[in-house]
Formats: sequence, structure tokens, C-alpha cells
Amino acid sequence: MKLSTKHLLGIKNLSKEDIELILSTAANFKDVLQRPVKKVPSLRDVTIVNLFYENSTRTRISFELAEKRLSADTVNFAVSGSSAAKGETLLDTVNNILSMKVDMVVMRHSASGAPHFLAKHIPVPIVNAGDGINEHPTQALLDAFSMKEKFGELKGLKVAIIGDILHSRVAMSNMYLLKKMGAEILIAGPPTLIPKYIEETFNVKVEYNLKKALQWCDVANVLRIQLERQNQPLFSSLREYNIAYGINKKLLENLGKEITIMHPGPINRGVELDSDVADGPFSIILNQVENGVAVRMAVLYLLANREN
Amino acid sequence: MKILLSKVFIADETSPYHQSVQDIFIENGIIKNISSNINEDADEIISGEDLIVTQGWVDIFSHFNEPGFEYKETIETGSQSAAAGGFTNVFLLPNTNPTISTKAQIEFIKNKNNNNIVNVLPIGAVTKNIEGKDLAEMYDMHNSGAIAFSDGLLPVQTSGLLLKALQYIKTFNGIIIQMPIDKSIATHGLMNEGITSTQIGLAGIPAIAEEIIIKRDIDLLNYTNSKLHITGVSTAKSIELITEAKKQGLQITCSVTPYHLFFCDEDLKDYDTNLKVNPPLRTKQDMLALREAVIDGKVDCIASHHFPQDIDNKVCEFDAAKNGMIGLQTSFNVVNEVLPKLTAQKVSNIFSLNARKIFSLNNASININTKADITVFTKNGESVLTKENNKSKSFNSPFFNQTLKGKIVAVLNNNTFKKL
Repeated sequence: MKLSTKHLLGIKNLSKEDIELILSTAANFKDVLQRPVKKVPSLRDVTIVNLFYENSTRTRISFELAEKRLSADTVNFAVSGSSAAKGETLLDTVNNILSMKVDMVVMRHSASGAPHFLAKHIPVPIVNAGDGINEHPTQALLDAFSMKEKFGELKGLKVAIIGDILHSRVAMSNMYLLKKMGAEILIAGPPTLIPKYIEETFNVKVEYNLKKALQWCDVANVLRIQLERQNQPLFSSLREYNIAYGINKKLLENLGKEITIMHPGPINRGVELDSDVADGPFSIILNQVENGVAVRMAVLYLLANREN
Repeated sequence: MKILLSKVFIADETSPYHQSVQDIFIENGIIKNISSNINEDADEIISGEDLIVTQGWVDIFSHFNEPGFEYKETIETGSQSAAAGGFTNVFLLPNTNPTISTKAQIEFIKNKNNNNIVNVLPIGAVTKNIEGKDLAEMYDMHNSGAIAFSDGLLPVQTSGLLLKALQYIKTFNGIIIQMPIDKSIATHGLMNEGITSTQIGLAGIPAIAEEIIIKRDIDLLNYTNSKLHITGVSTAKSIELITEAKKQGLQITCSVTPYHLFFCDEDLKDYDTNLKVNPPLRTKQDMLALREAVIDGKVDCIASHHFPQDIDNKVCEFDAAKNGMIGLQTSFNVVNEVLPKLTAQKVSNIFSLNARKIFSLNNASININTKADITVFTKNGESVLTKENNKSKSFNSPFFNQTLKGKIVAVLNNNTFKKL
């Protein structure tokens, strides 16, 4: 089995079969990661550059670990301290790196469509590690993997995506993925943080009341308030956000049912999640992080494999 | 120089020969004879099938980037582009560096206009240095030859300031051109807000950002009883608002771009930066409504919104790309492609006569003993814009290598003739 696409630009362009292939391959890699020797030679002699035009901790480390465990050679690039900080264009930077014989590019960028732009101009596969407010496909894949691990299958699963949907590429990729896999989706958050046309675009339910959203769902995927992307007032204060949309232990205990809490990180503790939830028994946040490596190994392996 | 136009259909409401097929004989830039059969020796004979002649075309909103951004376009290259697209009169945006906001800059543009085939007519800024704060010296600029007033790419946002500007220009019967964008709503938007923007994760510019400004401007116009032209109208609702205001007797007119008739927001799915324009491409329903409005005569003019951008501002991430596309050379072909049934009369009106009337331009009525300022074209035949025949200094057009209906055959103005 091979992926239907040369690049991983987004979930939007993947077929259901592609998603299933990535998830099943990831399951195999997860087994590998439990062994004493976690490294496989699959991508030996493949050089991958990790281009991070935006800050990242989890995703960057996760990709780098995935690459190393596949025996790829890796080069890391962060925008500060590079020529991009001196004003070099994206295309120039990438072409310069590629002329040093790099086989694959993993890129995070603040502009939506930046990896799509690169894909038109460079010959090697690109993995989107998050572009603007568009997509973050590997996050959605690892979220799906984690939900599948917990619930067995995605079809019919009720997933609430809660918080700053407007600025969230995680929400976008999750919606594309969950729709393709037959899950039910409810979007919840303050109206100023929910795109106006989301219902028509994704055929999802929208709920402004947090408690109702939590009562409806099996899983709550809670998103981070992206303070760095807000350039106009969208809510009055973090304190008020926490009052209206923050999830705490007491709220979960009063639901009358048990739900699973997910979060793509980094958590704003005391804003969208209180610590008693983030570190509590319903949270699978650290499982998500663990699964991230296996999922990214699967993506890299399948894309490289397609090339050969 | 003697030129004979053979068997051309005259589409010019102001001409006694309107809607008839004639020979036209021109000598040294003056129409000497119009008759069904002229036997004169000529240096150039223009003949062909289905040729139409109208008064020279007028574009009311183009950016030639001089002074300041000559690497994108100059008055010379922009004029060549205009002539190749059938235009003999082009209004230039004031968003240069320095801005066109004093008499000196108006004169700079006028002096650059060395009896070329294309009259370049500067639009003066409404506010000093286009800062949106204080009124520019519009009276002085008007006397020096400013054709109209606009802050161009940065439309006046403050209601009070626009109110004063609309009042102020009444001294000399002036007119203000506004591109309808409320920047406080559009903020960081990159394309039309809708299903496509949600699907591809680009921040949206809602239609209301345009419609609210049009509503406000109509109210200000009603209060001041002045003259206003809205250009780049992009939504169905905007057309309704303007049509309603016209019915109430307000002196309001509007124009649409060829590209808003050709594309809609769905075409942006591949993040094509050539389609990053402002006002943005709207929904398919809006696009179809705009086409309808052109046919119904609700749209007064076609405005090319010729905004050249160099390669570095277009071959980049969508966020980083600048707005606009070049359009003078393909303006007619694009309109003719999407509205093939548009009559010669309609073409004459929306490309020339209406603008001449709205902006009090000299009437170049096609008649004996008048100065020849004419465009000869055919609605049949085909044109293709290529890297080789593109006259603009910039290449930011989505129409390269696309076959479009119609062909510009010749332009003649200021005793200068260009056969295409």
C-alpha cells in the first residue's frame, strides 16, 4: 500500500484509505518504540530538514525523534539565527538547503498555504508541520490514533472541539479527519472565536455553552487560546474566558458521565484547562504526545517509501 | 498621415453615424470624412470582418507606480499596456511615492504625458499624503489637471473627513472615487470570508466590510449632494445599494473590474497569489450578479484595477503576497469572454462613453472634422496574452497563455496611431 499523495500538506487532500494506512503503520511503529532498541534503519541515507518558521517544542522534538528513530539524517532550522531573519525569502532559503542534497522537508510556517506554495516550486516531498490557521495534519493524525487507541474506532464517536477555533489549524485538520472517518463533531467556544461559515463548510454542530458541549461528547479536544495570533479583541480577558470556557474538575464531575480530555499543547493552565483536569484521570494528553512520534514515523516512512 | 478605416461599425451614441457601417478617413489625427464608400489614398488601411469603432476607451483606476515604484511599472510601460488593450485615456492612482497630493505632483504626471497615444490623467489624493487625516489641496490640483480625487488603495475611512471632502469638491464640481473597504472589519483578511476561506484556512474579508462603507458613503452623499464613484464593487448587495441610491437621484456611479466578472473565491483553492486582490473575489453568486448588473446597465464602467506587482511580491506565501493584478491589456477580452452577448453599444458605453460623461472628459464624438480619439476592435477573433506580447513591466496576471475572445485592432489618439 502506498499513499495517494506525494506530500502531506493537509488532511483535506488525503483519502480515508490514506488515513487508515498511516494509522495502521503508526501502530507498528508504536510497537517498535516499546522495544529496548527503538531505532529502525528504514530511512537510512535519507536527509530531512526541519524548517520551523514558528516556535514549537512538541512538534519539532517529535519530528526529530521520529526521524532519528528511522535512522534519517536530520538538519534543524529555526528562523531566529538564520538568514530568514535577515530577510531571505522562503523559496530562496529552501532552494539553498535543497542544493545541499536534502530529500525531504518538514515545515512549520505562520502563513496558511506556505507548504502548498513550496510544493509548487520544489521537487522533494513536504510534510506540513502546521501552516498558519490552515492545517496541522500530523496533530490530527496523532489525535485520531489516540482516540482509536482508547475507543477502538472513530466511526460514531462524539468529539467536541472546544476553544479558539478561529485560529486553530488543529481544529481544521481534526474536522477534516473526523468527518472522513465518520465521527460526529461539535464545535464549542465563544462566537468571536468560531469562523462564521463553519457549519456550512464542515457540516458540524456549533454550541456556545460549554457545559452542554461537554454533556454531549465522548471526547473533548480542548484547544489552546492562541494569544499570539490575535490582533483584535476577541474576548475581554483570560480570567473571563476561564469563567465561561475553562474546564475544571468540578465541572467534569457534575456532568453525570465520564468524558476523555485531549489537548494539543502547550496548555494555558488556568485558562482553557485547570491543572486538576490536565493532570487528572480523564486526560490522555501525554498519550497524545507519545503517539505523536509513532504517527510522524509512519508519515515520513510512507512518504519516503513512495518516492523509492 | 492618412488612415482609412474600411467598413467599420460605428458604436457611439453621440455620433450621427451611430449604429451604421461606414468608411472613415482620417488625416493628421482629424476625421476628414465618414461615408459609406471612400476612395482616398491612405498610408494605412484598416479592414477586416466585424470591425467596430468607438470613442477611445477610458480606464478610471490604474496604477502606473511612477514615481517611487518604477520597478513595477512606469508611465511609459503602463501606457503601452493601455494602448495594447485599446485604451486612450487612463486615470492614474495617487498611491505613488511621493503620493500625488499636491499640484507639483499632478504637474509631474501631466508633463510625463508627451503627446503619447494614451492620455494619462492623474487622480489627486483626497487627503494629504494619503494619510487619511487632513484634506489635500484639491482645488489647486483640480486647476492643474487632476481628473478626480481618491485615496486610491487606502480609501478614506473617517466619516467626518469624507463628508468634508465631498462638500469641498463641490466648489469645482469635482468627484471622489472610493474603493469600498472598511479596514476595521477587513483587518487582516486575505480573501472573501466564506466557505472557501474556511476550507483553506485564510483569514476572511466579509462582504459587510464593503457594504457598510457603501451604505455610509451613500448617506454622506445624500447629506452633501456631491458626486461619488464607487470602484471595484464586488458583491450583489453592493450593486443593489448603489442602484437604489441612483433611483433616489443621488449622483452616484460605479465600476467593476474584469476579474470580478471572471473569477470567484472558489478559484483561490490553490492559493494562487495572482488572484489575491482587494476588494477580494467574492462568491460565485456575487460574480454572476455582477455579470448580470453589467448587462442591465447597473454598472457604469469597467475599471481595470491594473495593479502591477513585481515577482517578489507574488511568487511567495499567500500572506506575504501583495494585492492586485495587471489588467489593461486583457480588460476587454476578459469581459468579452464572460459576456459574449454584450452589444457593441454596451461595450462603447462601459468602456468609454459613461466614463467620459461621469468624469467630464472631452467628448470625442465620431464625426467629420473632430479629433480622432478612437478604438477599433472586434468581438470575434481571439487574443492570447504571452510573456512576449505583454507590455507591462510586471507579470502578475492569471490570464497568461489563455485564449480569450475578441481582439483590439487599432487605437488612434493625439495624431498617433497604433495598429495591433
